[in-house]
Amino acid sequence: MSSNQDKKPTGGQEKVGIYICHCGGNISDHVDVKKLAENVKDLEGVEVVHTNTFMCSDPGQELIQKDIKDGKINRVVVASCAPALHELTFRGAIKRAGMNPYLYEHANIREQVSWVHHGDQATEKATGLVAAAVAKARRLKPLEPIRVEARRHATVVGAGVAGLRAAYDLARRGLEVALVEKSPFLGGRTARLGRLVPSGEQAGEVISRIAGLVMTSDKISIYPCTEVTAFEGFVGNFKLTLRRKPPEEAECRAQLKKAREAGVGKGEFLPGAGVLTPNLPDREEEISLETGAVVMATGFKPYTPREGEYGYLQTDRVITLPEFVELLAKYPDRRGGFLQVKGKQIRSVAFIHCVGSRQIPGIHEPGQDGNLNEYCSRTCCAATLQAAVQVRKAFPRTRVFDFYRDIRTYGRGQEEFYEEASRQRVTFFRFEPEEPPVVQVSAGGKYPLQVSVKDTLTFGEQLDVPVDLVVLATGMMPTPIKEMVELMKLPVGADGFLQEVHPKLRPVEVANTGILLAGTCQAPMDVGEACNAAQAASAKATSLLARGYVELDPFVAKVDPEKCSGTGLCKEACPIEGAISLKERQLDGKTVVQAEITPALCTGCGICVAVCPSRALDINGWTLEQYEAMVDAIVAA
Amino acid sequence: MMKETHSFQYDALVIGGGIAGLQSALDLADQGFKVAVVEKDATIGGTMIRLSKVFPTLDCASCITTPKMAAASHNDNIDLFTYCQVNSLTRSDGTLKASITQKPRYVDPDKCIGCRQCEYQCPVYVKDEEQGGFSLRKAVYIPFSNAIPQLALIDVQHCSLCGMCAKVCPTEAIDYFQQPEQFVIEAKTAILATGFKLTPIDQKKEYGAGQVANVISSLQMERLLAPHGPYQRVIRPSDGKEPDSIAYVQCAGSRDLSLGVPYCSRVCCMYAIKQAMLLSGALPLADITIYYMDIRAFGKGYEQFFQNAKAMGIEFVKAKVGKIEQGENQNVLLRIEEQEGDGRVVRREHDLVVLSLGMVPDWNPAGICPVTTDTDAFIKCVQPKLAPTLTEMEGVFVAGVAAGPKDIVDTIAEAGAAAMEASNYLNTLSSGQAA
Amino acid sequence: MGKPDKEAMKALRQQRKAYIDRAKQEIKKQRKLIKAIKGQIREEAKTVPRIAAATKLPSDQVLLFIAAMRKYGQVIEVDKDGDYFTYKLSAEA
Ligand SMILES: Cc1cc2nc3c(=O)[nH]c(=O)nc-3n(C[C@H](O)[C@H](O)[C@H](O)COP(=O)(O)OP(=O)(O)OC[C@H]3O[C@@H](n4cnc5c(N)ncnc54)[C@H](O)[C@@H]3O)c2cc1C
Ligand SMILES: Cc1cc2nc3c(=O)[nH]c(=O)nc-3n(C[C@H](O)[C@H](O)[C@H](O)COP(=O)(O)OP(=O)(O)OC[C@H]3O[C@@H](n4cnc5c(N)ncnc54)[C@H](O)[C@@H]3O)c2cc1C
Ligand code: SF4
Ligand code: SF4
Repeated sequence: MSSNQDKKPTGGQEKVGIYICHCGGNISDHVDVKKLAENVKDLEGVEVVHTNTFMCSDPGQELIQKDIKDGKINRVVVASCAPALHELTFRGAIKRAGMNPYLYEHANIREQVSWVHHGDQATEKATGLVAAAVAKARRLKPLEPIRVEARRHATVVGAGVAGLRAAYDLARRGLEVALVEKSPFLGGRTARLGRLVPSGEQAGEVISRIAGLVMTSDKISIYPCTEVTAFEGFVGNFKLTLRRKPPEEAECRAQLKKAREAGVGKGEFLPGAGVLTPNLPDREEEISLETGAVVMATGFKPYTPREGEYGYLQTDRVITLPEFVELLAKYPDRRGGFLQVKGKQIRSVAFIHCVGSRQIPGIHEPGQDGNLNEYCSRTCCAATLQAAVQVRKAFPRTRVFDFYRDIRTYGRGQEEFYEEASRQRVTFFRFEPEEPPVVQVSAGGKYPLQVSVKDTLTFGEQLDVPVDLVVLATGMMPTPIKEMVELMKLPVGADGFLQEVHPKLRPVEVANTGILLAGTCQAPMDVGEACNAAQAASAKATSLLARGYVELDPFVAKVDPEKCSGTGLCKEACPIEGAISLKERQLDGKTVVQAEITPALCTGCGICVAVCPSRALDINGWTLEQYEAMVDAIVAA
Repeated sequence: MMKETHSFQYDALVIGGGIAGLQSALDLADQGFKVAVVEKDATIGGTMIRLSKVFPTLDCASCITTPKMAAASHNDNIDLFTYCQVNSLTRSDGTLKASITQKPRYVDPDKCIGCRQCEYQCPVYVKDEEQGGFSLRKAVYIPFSNAIPQLALIDVQHCSLCGMCAKVCPTEAIDYFQQPEQFVIEAKTAILATGFKLTPIDQKKEYGAGQVANVISSLQMERLLAPHGPYQRVIRPSDGKEPDSIAYVQCAGSRDLSLGVPYCSRVCCMYAIKQAMLLSGALPLADITIYYMDIRAFGKGYEQFFQNAKAMGIEFVKAKVGKIEQGENQNVLLRIEEQEGDGRVVRREHDLVVLSLGMVPDWNPAGICPVTTDTDAFIKCVQPKLAPTLTEMEGVFVAGVAAGPKDIVDTIAEAGAAAMEASNYLNTLSSGQAA
Repeated sequence: MGKPDKEAMKALRQQRKAYIDRAKQEIKKQRKLIKAIKGQIREEAKTVPRIAAATKLPSDQVLLFIAAMRKYGQVIEVDKDGDYFTYKLSAEA
């Protein structure tokens, strides 16, 4: 397919070193590393070939550095895992050895080879990929990262506990912060809780404390009743448009009314709602904001059971755990007698775990969007047990039954609630997902509801439990933020939550640099875990912006002024506003119109390269010539 | 040798060079602060570098840990102090002072090039704890192939002082006369990241008190599964048999008041499932059974991981293991009280049994540093909800398993949080001084 | 370290006498054990139970030393015999 077979890389001075990683056995169990090394050692331009158990380890990196320092090589090819993992590791090593870090090419022989192919085939494919990388490496030019000024300003979206925590930490580190919250209240879901497991702190106090710190910080601007409506730019220089408008939603208005009636003023805490923000908007307006980083903290919403799921909506005696917890928060210290719910005396209550969580294909019905919530919601077991214990302690005459699959009181101080629940004579039943408990309205019996279960704790006995109230421990789902996901091109995982780059290497970052994750928009977490995540995200944002500039990869389009005839086709094709513009230039005394690239905006997607009729465009580090050489090398291998 | 104690100044001191310590050091260094990491082992990396692959992504542990270790050791803002003991950490005049003793390696760190000539020639074999005791090392040795720093050390308790290593060392790095070194690290803030150890395997009489052959700990199984494990494959330690039937005993050492560990160790369900999956890859014909009370697969993607394991044919049995004894042919006999089915007490025989031991803290600050521990013996957090990394001591923070059992994902998040608190603390100090 | 001072070495030996004596004992025992194992697998690859039976050594000890000798390049794994693997001395040893 290529016509430049004879095209020699400039000067023939390129000396390539190949470094092949065993990855423990991840690669070498399937790829014959010795043979691979043998296969590529005589390729044109190759000076040395090394193998190592872990090329990313210190001794592995030193192999590369030594060859560079000894002047043996001036191009590096590493054949190992996916570049997403360790491209930066190797670039760093090369840079420390005094070479331009972009004279490096990566061959992915793990994800693309050893994890999917076996035997000779694997070694063959690896040979092809390494040969292609060598061909490209010989044609690499030194590049410099693009340095752009960064605003020392961050925007936090969502003022739940995670967003409040992040905003406060960023401000303490000297950044200006915009805190964008769609409701009139600060505190998110935490504000609707009572005593928090496991510390026993009152949610209202916790939220008031952190919200107080946020409201008194002179570096934080709070935007209540506000949502993000437009988004552009890049790390260090994002442009956001916000729309702020007076609260319309029925729930909001009801809460505001409650606040007025209860005499809760601005900056004060309203139970079940949160801290009323000081600056409610009285008219709709648009606000533009320039910011260096965005911390997503949009939180979760509780799963809403389907009508008829465990009797939900068929009787008002089936409610969800969030509703129950909010109710319970109102009278935490009352003792004696029976619990009252909706004016009814509750003699016995059943909790059912894992409602809308841990769903299994083939067993559970998908939701309206066709998805199953296969994950565990992590917080509901402990929250359920705490509610159960609280009921038993405050209302000793109310009996409590608990229907579970596994009790997941994993966290520090949580197992104690499980034990306490047993001590308080909460009765446990265990069910298999295939045979969940059945909630029935019993006509005319002493109790309005009956929960029937095949209890595996009593060896599969079929048991019927009469109750006055059923509480469904509903799980967490991500707050629906479809518009923002589309605007900001946020990666979403199979579970619907926002997706980090890698849970261990870059746990609070998404693929788009400058956007960070905090709290339950990423995965179910409790308050402490959400705060940890928020602080980790703030630490990342601070290290991104603290220097006042950011460095971007130089893999962007460049224009060859010799060839550009100013057709403007590239500008039309480019998906990014402002990345390509047409500029007048003087060329040989004549005024010509040519394309100009704004490197910081260009994402290096290459669409412009494809549409240019005169081949005047190329992507640095991914030129057409390099591609062609790679294809040739694969064909030849 | 040195009379006067040296003192070094840093912005932050991190105690413990496991993944928690390294991550917080890197996060602080990235913000421009100078950090000292003090590690008691001869290498940094903590437990994670000793693991095989890690849930939930099944990345090899080395692939994630080694680059972080290398990044820390190359970072201009980070200095590593390995093989060091912290004698005290106190605050005076607004500065934290840590008195440190560096144990002698008997090898000059400036000369050793990590060639391992000495190790090959040393005549004394010693049980290699890095390989779960299933292989041997020498009296002079480098802990493992991706240890950082790559420096040999002599285990004097097993050294015959024959002089062989000094003879063969190409750089004359061996120094039999090296003495402990005392120095002081001064810093404005500190992060405690001292991690955990497993509950002892011989703790429980009912489980054979460590005397039953082919009953191993979960960390030992990590070594059997690791790329550079003692046998480079999974065979059982008593006689090299490739096991047909492997069992896991969950909560062996956790959720057990009689052992003083009433809490859940939080990671053992997931690592048992992970190991079971890796085993079914390594030994496709083997039967693998997990005896458990509750499966706690609560993290992101963990439940799906658990369901996959079930679909792969790993057998999950809700049961309490009452007793572990030696069976015939070096097999292991379990007495099991099934919690489901018909609830009988049954006996089952396995070739190899893994105890999912619990986590207990590796460090007790009593007498060293005025932070206290909670009833679970882990370091006490004063604001577990809003600021989980705060301890009782101003400017001293905690991260990772030092603040209670947690997996790597949660550890790394907490390490980031501790770094944030520490940097904020440094910031308030400097702005306070400026004002 | 240059040539160690003779007197100083002597003093150090005195100081570490207990460790040194124990280490020397160990070396002796280990040499015998290694010799016995090597004797079994010089010509023919054998499983751990076979080596153990022939040398009358406990099988876990045999496996321990096989593992160590593999680590230092003296033994290689050869084949599988039933549920067990067989080991042989390497060319280097
Ligand atoms: C029944 C129940 C009981 C619980 N009990 C406990 C307990 O006892 N202890 C404990 O530690 N944890 C408990 N939790 C968990 C706790 O609620 C969460 O950990 C916590 O609320 C997470 O905080 P967050 O900031 O991540 O999200 P959220 O609290 O959901 O906050 C998100 C915020 O973002 C705002 N927002 C959303 N979308 C947008 C948008 N597009 N633009 C602007 N703003 C937006 C929301 O209005 C909200 O204010 C419980 C959870 C449940 C369901
Ligand atoms: C068998 C097993 C398998 C596991 N598998 C997984 C898995 O697959 N995925 C996962 O996410 N998690 C897994 N884990 C959990 C994981 O090991 C921990 O989450 C992680 O190691 C915690 O890191 P840390 O830095 O807090 O502690 P550690 O790894 O324990 O590190 C602490 C460090 O501090 C040092 N230290 C201690 N005291 C002192 C002192 N006084 N002075 C100086 N230094 C000191 C120690 O030597 C150590 O290097 C597993 C755990 C076990 C036991
Ligand atoms: S935390 Fe408990 S109730 Fe919630 S989904 Fe997980 S197992 Fe079910
Ligand atoms: S994580 Fe699982 S095995 Fe470990 S203590 Fe908790 S419940 Fe038991």
